Amino acid sequence: MTRQDPARFDGFTKTFGTTTAVEDLTFALRCGRILGLLGSNGAGKSTSLRGLLGLIHPTSGTATVFGVPYGELAHPARQVGVSMDGMGFVSHLSGRRNLLIAARAADLAASRVDAVLDQVGLTDSAGRKVKGYSTGMRQRLSIAAALLGDPELLVLDEPANGMDPEGIRWLRTLLRSLADEGRTVLVSSHQLAELEQTVDDVAVLQRRLLFCGSLAQLTEDGSSRLEEKFFELTATPVSGAAVA
Amino acid sequence: MRNQIAAETLKVRYSRSLLWLLGIGTFFVVVSNLGLMSQGRGRVVAGTSTAAVLTHDLVRNPFAYLLFVSMAGAMAVSGEYQNGYISRSVLLSGGRNRLLAAKAIVSCGVGALFGALAVVVGVATSYGALSSIGRSPVFDRETWLILGGVFLVNVLAGPWGTFLGWLVRHQVASVSLVFVMTMMVDPALQRLLPSVGKYLMTIAMSSVYRDDKTGLLSEPIALVVIAAWLAVAAVAARKLLASRDIT
Repeated sequence: MTRQDPARFDGFTKTFGTTTAVEDLTFALRCGRILGLLGSNGAGKSTSLRGLLGLIHPTSGTATVFGVPYGELAHPARQVGVSMDGMGFVSHLSGRRNLLIAARAADLAASRVDAVLDQVGLTDSAGRKVKGYSTGMRQRLSIAAALLGDPELLVLDEPANGMDPEGIRWLRTLLRSLADEGRTVLVSSHQLAELEQTVDDVAVLQRRLLFCGSLAQLTEDGSSRLEEKFFELTATPVSGAAVA
Repeated sequence: MRNQIAAETLKVRYSRSLLWLLGIGTFFVVVSNLGLMSQGRGRVVAGTSTAAVLTHDLVRNPFAYLLFVSMAGAMAVSGEYQNGYISRSVLLSGGRNRLLAAKAIVSCGVGALFGALAVVVGVATSYGALSSIGRSPVFDRETWLILGGVFLVNVLAGPWGTFLGWLVRHQVASVSLVFVMTMMVDPALQRLLPSVGKYLMTIAMSSVYRDDKTGLLSEPIALVVIAAWLAVAAVAARKLLASRDIT
């Protein structure tokens, strides 16, 4: 394992008061692969992702992107694209204006705004206020914001939430095409059936890491379903560290 | 850093709340100046006051824009916590300190905009008041010092508001805090304990725009006090922003 893992957790632990949200999380992502971070509600997925992005400080351990803490990246938007649950937009502004502000902050050309709007299929709605967007459209806008910097690593927290079947299929195709271009995707979800069709690697989290490895390894080359294995793991927690 | 300032400027350009604050502030200042005009003109005509005194009063009164500048500054920060945009701002900024600095700098620009408007309103109402009785406003040294002070306190009210916004992080609470401090706590303390009250932020500001109340600090001392308040608020805001999780 090199220092240049796209994302890496080393003993990452986060407690809020007396509650431990994530404990001793250790795993790394491999370039050009899609890793699904799975867990029930409250399993610590969002906490882990926020820790990776430096939005929350670990109680102990580290989380790094491309070998350094997120805050030390020279051009963060060009290296890491982020779509997080709860990361809002200015609702009285249009989708385009929201992206223009993000592009300006990241020192990106305004032409990238139209490019990503087209990529996520929001060109026709770009001039509408975000408060008029459906949940699925907001998800697409959030993914557009993540893609603005044409990043090497994408961190997506529950990106399929609120999407219709067509949107979910579009998302699956998008993630696969991004990975085929050599980008790395870290996607958290609790939609197991959907994730099974998308990811290469899986990390199962239930406060502690229960499993980390390839999807094929977990499902025994497809002889078991991801859902079945997930419930087996979460019913019998095990500790350990792994590398995807 | 240049990118952060440009992005924050764009947010200001697209901001609806800023237009509201500008409109409400102008309404209150103009109404207040109209009241001063009607009282002052009568005194000038009766010979119990002078054109210079009325000019000074009318150019000083728009200092009140500083309340709205502070509110705009507080909302520029706390509003992002409200709608969840703060995570995006932090991630795109390349560092929390840069974001803090960019918001403070842009809020100075917003303060300059309000300050310029305050100067225009003060000068325009002075002309309106005195020309209606066949007199002209008096632009003596004192008038220019007052105008400069009014402009300066508006500029400084911007970062003051943003630092309070970082400290409170809640939109209603931060705006309420600005209002209560500016309109109630500081003036009340100045009345009850003038030896302490004169060191409060908005009372020190009144020295800069040359309020005619007694017992105020001299201008140089007041500027030092204002700088100290800004420095303390900036350090506290930076410390909290650096140490708190953004959830």
